[in-house]
Amino acid sequence: MTAKARAATLILLALTLAACKREERATRLDPPVAEALDKVAVLPVGIGGRPPEVYPALGSPYRSNAYQLSQGKRLYEWFNCRGCHADGGGNTGPALLDGWWRYGPDAVSIFVSIRDGRPNGMPAFRDRLTTEQIWQLTGYIQSMGATAISVAAPSRSDRMQSRPAENRAPATFPAPR
Amino acid sequence: MACLALAPAGVVWASDGGTAPEAQPGFSTLDQLTPANVGGLQPVASLPTGSRGAHGAAPVIAGDTAFILTPFPHELLALDLRAPGLPVKWRYRPAADSMAAGQGGGGRNAPVAEGGRVFFTTLDGHAIALDAATGVVLWDMRVADLAQGETLRAPPLVARGTVLLGNGGDDFGARGWIAALSAETGALLWKRYSTGPDEAVGIGPGFASAGQEANLGVTTWSPSAWQHGGGGVSGPILWDAAAGLVFHGTGYPAPWNPDQRRGDNRWTSGLFARALEDGAARWFLPVSPHDLYALGSTTPNLLLDREWQGRQRPLLVHPDANGHVYVLDRLSGALLSAEAFLPVNATEGLDPAQGVLRRNPAKQVRSGGTTTGICPAHPGAVGGAAAYSPRTGLLYIPARRLCMDLEARDTTFIPGTPFTGANLRQMPAPGLYPGALVAWDLGAARVAWTKDEALPLEGGALATAGGLVFYGTAEGVLKALDANTGAELWRFQAASGIIAPPVSYQGPDGRQFVAVLAGTGGFPGAAAGREIDIRDATAAEGRALAMRRLPQPPEAGGMLYVFALP
Amino acid sequence: MPRPWLLAIGLLCTGCSSNWQSALEPQGDVARHLDGLFWLFTITAVVIWLAVMLVLLLGLWRRARLPQAVADRRAGIAVGAAVAATVVIISGLTLASYLATRPLASDAPDALVIRLRGFQWWWEATYQDEAPDRGFLTANEIHIPVGRPVRIELAAADVIHSFWVPNLAGKQDMIPGRDNAITFTAQQPGIWRGQCAEFCGLQHAHMALLVVAEPPEAFDRWREAQIAEARPPADEVEAEGQRLLEAKACSACHTVRGTTAAGTLGPDLTHLGSRQYLAAGMLPMTRGAMAAWIADPQGVKPGNNMPMVPLTADELQALSAYLVSLK
Repeated sequence: MTAKARAATLILLALTLAACKREERATRLDPPVAEALDKVAVLPVGIGGRPPEVYPALGSPYRSNAYQLSQGKRLYEWFNCRGCHADGGGNTGPALLDGWWRYGPDAVSIFVSIRDGRPNGMPAFRDRLTTEQIWQLTGYIQSMGATAISVAAPSRSDRMQSRPAENRAPATFPAPR
Repeated sequence: MACLALAPAGVVWASDGGTAPEAQPGFSTLDQLTPANVGGLQPVASLPTGSRGAHGAAPVIAGDTAFILTPFPHELLALDLRAPGLPVKWRYRPAADSMAAGQGGGGRNAPVAEGGRVFFTTLDGHAIALDAATGVVLWDMRVADLAQGETLRAPPLVARGTVLLGNGGDDFGARGWIAALSAETGALLWKRYSTGPDEAVGIGPGFASAGQEANLGVTTWSPSAWQHGGGGVSGPILWDAAAGLVFHGTGYPAPWNPDQRRGDNRWTSGLFARALEDGAARWFLPVSPHDLYALGSTTPNLLLDREWQGRQRPLLVHPDANGHVYVLDRLSGALLSAEAFLPVNATEGLDPAQGVLRRNPAKQVRSGGTTTGICPAHPGAVGGAAAYSPRTGLLYIPARRLCMDLEARDTTFIPGTPFTGANLRQMPAPGLYPGALVAWDLGAARVAWTKDEALPLEGGALATAGGLVFYGTAEGVLKALDANTGAELWRFQAASGIIAPPVSYQGPDGRQFVAVLAGTGGFPGAAAGREIDIRDATAAEGRALAMRRLPQPPEAGGMLYVFALP
Repeated sequence: MPRPWLLAIGLLCTGCSSNWQSALEPQGDVARHLDGLFWLFTITAVVIWLAVMLVLLLGLWRRARLPQAVADRRAGIAVGAAVAATVVIISGLTLASYLATRPLASDAPDALVIRLRGFQWWWEATYQDEAPDRGFLTANEIHIPVGRPVRIELAAADVIHSFWVPNLAGKQDMIPGRDNAITFTAQQPGIWRGQCAEFCGLQHAHMALLVVAEPPEAFDRWREAQIAEARPPADEVEAEGQRLLEAKACSACHTVRGTTAAGTLGPDLTHLGSRQYLAAGMLPMTRGAMAAWIADPQGVKPGNNMPMVPLTADELQALSAYLVSLK
């Protein structure tokens, strides 16, 4: 290869590498965005609704971003969700693994369930979690009961083994007993 | 109303102070049914209760009326025993706070009939009194605060114009208490706690302490941990009229993770004797101090007056969740015997000097770690109320023989949310069937015989003077065994699983009837709701996987079955 | 540049100022052992290096022409002597190392035991007593008595951290699922800074621990004060702050004994105001810094686990006043 060709190749390579962009992790939402994310429009029956416009504008990160899913997983353990829902298998509360949702599978329903509570025992976490944290939990819980493969998965669990890791195949309909 | 003591026509859960020599919960003095004729027992009536929940309590028979309290949201039914088909005389449905469903199934709320009135407690924290004949509400008091995780899940005790009841909610960090209400008005007479300063607990001059330090309910806890320390009085309360004492157990301490509550955690997981008038404690026996496995000591007790090692003694018999049968002198609180009725490895026998079981260091629990193969598993080796037959001298214990892997994690206290800090996987005890009816020879302190069951037994047993033992299984089979030998003499397959004890009573035509409430709410004895996914090994506290062989036909819901000889 | 060598010396000297986080200023027995060992090795190595350089220079300078056999023999002697010297010196250093580090593993029976648990990215310290209710939790700042051995039991809650207070002792890892311990004695009163010495995530660099060594009487007073419940609010503003602490998300994660806040996910705040720093050594303990921290924890320490709870200005003022008052 001539000297010129070599130089050209190297310059091209350098320019290509410069295009690699590392994920810019937002460690918190801006306060106006956080406030806007709280304004979900819920249907009168309390099931389903429309997420705030800022949600798709953010790129719906709570299902598709591994960091957000990991945060959701951490919050799931930290805020005693396991006491009623186990690791998705259910106990006093229904299972979150089986893809069957009492109030619908969409993110808004799950968000409202956590924020405002539901009859039959689901407490309201409005005063205990911030909006962003509730969205992170929502994303994680949706991923638990997912019936389609996702590109992102939360970090591996270091605890007593209870179910297959999240980055394996998603939940299918309830296993026959 | 004829006192049940004078006409011992099959007493169940009626705590009438033990004036009749044989009157005991779980023992029927009727002897018409015998091993010879029980094979001919036929169903004579069945009545749907209208509830699809977990029916953990038996019907209560008072004279010619049977009272049934359905699981939450409760409905109280009064059935006329005189008419065929048991028509409903009246029914009452109190207003229900649906948030109580978060407390889970496994509640054994039951009515108590006394003095022309019916008393019962509700899962959402109310104590209610109705007129027994008409069903009119006499009073309705909210006694437990659901927002703090408190609930009521056991039948009250009615004694001398006082209604005694205790709270549940150990899993939510609710501080345990026992309270006395006036039977006339429902007004609070006194309330004593299971943790905290001596005054709140009722430790005073009358307490048999022998040089104990003050305020053990505070000093045996990490700072401030006693304020959400559990120890709920979530089992039945018994009363000895002659001694004027009430007896009850306290539940396990909160959270399950023991590293967050260092110390012996008085006064949880133990047995109390209290004075009826003011709740002052007379004695306390620590059964599982610094409970590592969330066992508690709220399993039903029995008050017996019988011979013990040569002399007549007033006994309190307590088959405990930790797998041992405790026999105490109920007046002095002295521990007479504590022997294991099934194989356990969490403890290694009684230390006679200390009066508590020795811990097995290999089954130590530490925050952040997993301990495997702990037997017995939470919630304990006793699945339902044990029955004692004075004829055979045997104690019939419906047992669970499960072991668990326990992972303890730090947990934060948020009122109204679970405060446990432990994840469980469960499996049958190695080499054993997961359930058994254990016949325990009380005098000899050893097992007489065992009847294996494919699933843990969650319902109580009934022993009859005719020499039979009745109990129901989670698969819905009601069985009659020979009380002496354990041979199965009769069985009946109900349409739903059974987690309640059977009862026996004498009908108006003189026949002996056996009745049982069937209905498990989808997952026997474990949790509310049918939506359990066993791909998670920790679902339903690990028991879902251990009990996965349970056949799951669509349940018929709650059903009362009544049997008699034709 | 007029005198470059002055600049060089000046730069070198910046490392020598009186330092609260320096292994070269030992204040504890363990650190002294390690410091002595350090200097022994350094001086030995420097001397040997100079000797070798000298011999090299001599070799380059003097080109003595010797017969091959004599040269060979001399070379043989020189190499032999060097090898022998190396063996002796290395053995000596090994022995010195063994003697210096042997006392580090010893366990003093009357040691004060502190259990230190590493979290991302803060330190939880548990002081225990025979009576369980006389134990207490604190965070990011530990006090120890001078002259008494202190045994720190090390644990980690999430990932591997490492305990390192250079003025007092060397490093010891804190590994999840494993029990480690380190024992040392502070020999004079002072305040020493330590930090996490094993990469543990985004804010590993901002996980500082303050060790305050004080005379035993002062330590006992501090300890009694820490066992007590939180100071009640002194005025309206602080009372409002306490009410907010209990009503808002704070109580879900933090404990303030004496209030209803009993959360265990974050540091214990019962005596927050008695500590010198906030957020594991990042901010001073002042009202302004407290308000800045609560207003935007992610701005101060991006990626840490404390969320930004929306508060109005008045609420923030009350809350920060209350928390700083928790002495």
